[in-house]
Amino acid sequence: MEKSLKVGIGDMKLTRGSGEIITYALGSCIGLAFYDPNIKLAALLHIMLPERMNPKDQNVFKYADTGIKETVRKLMAFGMVKARTVVKIAGGAKMFEISGNPNFGNIGIRNADSCKKILRAEGLRLVAEDTGANYARTMSIDVGTGTVLVRTFGRPLLRL
Amino acid sequence: MKINSYEEMNLQELDVMREIGSIGTSHAATALSQLVQKEIRITIPMVHILGYNEAVRRIGNEEEIVGATLVKMSGDLNGLMLFLYNIQFANKLLEKLLSEEFKAFEEMDDLARSALVEVGNIIICSYINAFTQFVNMDVSLSVPSSTVNMLGSILTVPMAEFGYETDKLMYCNADFLMEGSVLPSWLLMLPDMKSLNEILERLGV
Repeated sequence: MEKSLKVGIGDMKLTRGSGEIITYALGSCIGLAFYDPNIKLAALLHIMLPERMNPKDQNVFKYADTGIKETVRKLMAFGMVKARTVVKIAGGAKMFEISGNPNFGNIGIRNADSCKKILRAEGLRLVAEDTGANYARTMSIDVGTGTVLVRTFGRPLLRL
Repeated sequence: MKINSYEEMNLQELDVMREIGSIGTSHAATALSQLVQKEIRITIPMVHILGYNEAVRRIGNEEEIVGATLVKMSGDLNGLMLFLYNIQFANKLLEKLLSEEFKAFEEMDDLARSALVEVGNIIICSYINAFTQFVNMDVSLSVPSSTVNMLGSILTVPMAEFGYETDKLMYCNADFLMEGSVLPSWLLMLPDMKSLNEILERLGV
């Protein structure tokens, strides 16, 4: 059986060769799939908030800034080369629309912006994204090919 | 003592929240009962402080499709109130309201969907009105917002909203019983930390 790794909220998993890494029900959270095709090295990161405010917080994968940096550090230890690596992101939805309060629930948009900014600063290529709107997404990456699948409720399967 | 996160509450403070849950849920049950013209009973109210994973496990699984209604509270009390229900809950009520049942949320027509939105609004608003009167707080509510989507993504909404304060969720409710069976639904009461302290102070703990 192919191995399947599950990534929880504010978590990251990486693996090499074959199998899949999956994270369920991304709402305003963002899933980031990192893939270096030459060595078939993949990582999936599930962040919840744009930046870490409290430097004492040990939960680095919960935040876009610390999460991306730590993921990149780990991947590079496994031989990732930034120039070859592609990144795909999904999530950042606004699950509830509160009328008269446009700022409520825009954490998804802020998460997406923060991820893009940090990826750019890290010199990583963002090649595909499926962000925004108002529905949840389940995201998986095929470690053998780097294909990212996004599953949603009531919508066709999306291939990134 | 000032509380900085939900899990710091002691037994006495949790008891106060249970009392609030009791008052809120019983009023919500009365309102629901008037709507469906059936007797609705409630079980003994409970308060649980749960992490995300425990909350998901208690309700179902991350990808399960659930209905949810969210209200934002502001004024003397700031925070969120989230009401969640699954397909069994929806069907039991739709059977009474529209004499219809559906296999899944995606098969529902507009009428069924809007009936459920109304049910969510009634439950959530009667709950909040009851307990804010009890604690004597002036709270204004946003227009309720409803959605049907994956459970995991809905539960992260309050967590993202309060993510820098706490990553726990507070369950504050009892089960509704209609004709001897449970209507599977869950109420999450999520005041911000300042408001939580204010509530506890007003009630003398």
